[in-house]
Amino acid sequence: MIRRGAIFWMVLAVMAGIGLFVLKYEVAEMEDRLADINRQTLANLEAVHVLKAEWSYLNRPERLETLGRSLLSLEPVKSRQTARIADIPIRPDNISDSAAGEPAATATPPAADHVPPLLAKYRRDP
Amino acid sequence: MIGRHPLLLRRSSLEQPVPPAVETGRSRLLIAGAMFAAAFAVIAGRLVDVTLFADGNEPRFAQSASDTGHHTDRADIVDRNGVLLATSLKTASLYADARIVLDAEEAARKLAAVLSDLEVAAVRRKLMSDRPFIWIKRHLTPRQQNAVNRLGIPGLEFQQEERRVYPAGPLAAHVLGHTDIDNRGLAGIERSFDAALGSKGTPLRLSIDLRVQHAMHAELAMAVEKFQAIGGAGIVMDVDSGEVLAQVSLPTFDPNNPMKIGKEARFNRTTLGVYEMGSTFKIFNTAMALDTGRITLKSGYDAAKPIRIARFVIRDFHAKRRWLSVPEIFMYSSNIGSVKMALDVGPVAQREFMGRIGMLKPSPIELPEVGAPLIPQRWREINAMTISFGHGISVSPMQLVSGVTAMVNGGIRRKPTLLRQPDGIRPRGTRVVSADTSEKIRRLMRLVVENGTGKNAAAEGMLVGGKTGTAEKVVGRRYKTKALMSSFIGAFPMTAPRYVVFAMLDEPTGTKDTFGYATGGWVAAPVVGKVIARIGPMLGVKPVDAEADNVRSRMAIDIVTEKNGRRQLASF
Repeated sequence: MIRRGAIFWMVLAVMAGIGLFVLKYEVAEMEDRLADINRQTLANLEAVHVLKAEWSYLNRPERLETLGRSLLSLEPVKSRQTARIADIPIRPDNISDSAAGEPAATATPPAADHVPPLLAKYRRDP
Repeated sequence: MIGRHPLLLRRSSLEQPVPPAVETGRSRLLIAGAMFAAAFAVIAGRLVDVTLFADGNEPRFAQSASDTGHHTDRADIVDRNGVLLATSLKTASLYADARIVLDAEEAARKLAAVLSDLEVAAVRRKLMSDRPFIWIKRHLTPRQQNAVNRLGIPGLEFQQEERRVYPAGPLAAHVLGHTDIDNRGLAGIERSFDAALGSKGTPLRLSIDLRVQHAMHAELAMAVEKFQAIGGAGIVMDVDSGEVLAQVSLPTFDPNNPMKIGKEARFNRTTLGVYEMGSTFKIFNTAMALDTGRITLKSGYDAAKPIRIARFVIRDFHAKRRWLSVPEIFMYSSNIGSVKMALDVGPVAQREFMGRIGMLKPSPIELPEVGAPLIPQRWREINAMTISFGHGISVSPMQLVSGVTAMVNGGIRRKPTLLRQPDGIRPRGTRVVSADTSEKIRRLMRLVVENGTGKNAAAEGMLVGGKTGTAEKVVGRRYKTKALMSSFIGAFPMTAPRYVVFAMLDEPTGTKDTFGYATGGWVAAPVVGKVIARIGPMLGVKPVDAEADNVRSRMAIDIVTEKNGRRQLASF
């Protein structure tokens, strides 16, 4: 009777000890991993910080302007190229919806030589 | 009794009569047992409390994990759109513990071979000094650090430091200022917000728009080169909030290299320099006279003859030699007419007006480099006369721009600022002229660009208005005729001004293109026109058709060309 009780408690104590041991090592390992991740996060944040500085260095307006002038066939927007929404005339009623809807129904975009005449004058030939 | 079970013993004792001594012992045992039980219960309770229930003071696990953010010792500075203007990067600095260094001669030679800008003799002296801490070189690049590490010299150590970096370089140098090697602000915003930048982690957001800053910088630099000027200044200010969108002073410097800043480049012409502004002051003079109600746009003065007072003669540069109406005086920039206008108002009222629009006190802008205006000690009639056309009083360009914003925005003066203001909220200001006067000034400024001395400032669709200014520079105690301060101050669009743009050139020389002229209308007005053409679409200013009927009628001025005589409706 007494032996069985003692054995029960001893087994329980040993099991609790082993459990604690395993748990402790598991926690230590997780803490190591966490510290590692934190270190990596910090390193990444620092790298992002440096990259941000580099990004703004590369985005200096005078550099963009030189690059834009040499690589793009675009010009700065002039005030006559801008218009207000209110200035665009309202579509006349006599154009039927089915006719207007037709180009949209076809999935393919209009060919390059079908650019609306309004924009054609701003196109620059190479 | 030995070997018998205690329970059996107890049972047997219950059966027999109990002696008093045993009774006492048993009750004592019971008390002791109860006490032990209570103690164990307390310990058990505490154990449960500590292990199972969280304590308020305990650090939360989740919190400690997220607390490892990235910090720099000094906060970033960004422009109004969040573009990085100044930041701190981690670098390694090399120092030596001279007591540990074995062979100073060899170490110095090796170091100088790796770090090219070090001198062998200087390094050797440092390494032989026997001091436990001595800087060898601050802020090494990672490559240099690696090279020094590979030398493997004992006694050389690295200290992690931060270095201030300005990605935009010299572009906003006078606004930002710079720091010393220990990251203490020495000039500009870096100095005026030194404490805040050092303690707060959040970036400091300026009102500067880097794109506008670049447009002003590029156009001004081009003009300085073209007219061989010794310097230039340019400002763009929001008329409703007082925010400075661009502030350029030429020549400029690279804040990344604070050791190599020359004295001339360090000087901030926009806030520290005070200059006699010349005819741009006629904006204030005319507004003052109109606001008193003493004159209207139909009044006029006889500008046929130069004015002689004391040993001075006041003449007109674009002389018409006849009676001139107020719009004509403004349009042709007549000194004689302006003097008579100021005399009508009187020196006392003029002084009071100049004080109201902030010409008598240093600009309240958030920079340490702010110049105090030079004003006459006794404000006599002769002072009133010269101040009417911008001589005998020296103010900084920032003061002038701030004053002109109040003239065109409906008459409210607000504090000029370099910090981004919240959208949609107009800071409180003080009324300095009536809305009606402001409206008239807008028409007059538009007239100058449409038909007067400022035609070169025109920008298509932006409805620019403005005023030219050309002042002779004071050298010693005399005016130097050949050395000019040529400026132009403009605003756009004149129907409802949103921005004031100012450009000034210091000692420009006329070219063939300008027929040898180096006046404000020829050298500074084109800069303002080009800047406005560039920044207008960028800032979302809707183009205005200057020929449209409603715009024409809002800008029209009734110009009288003869005293009591015929009128000519402005049809331009």
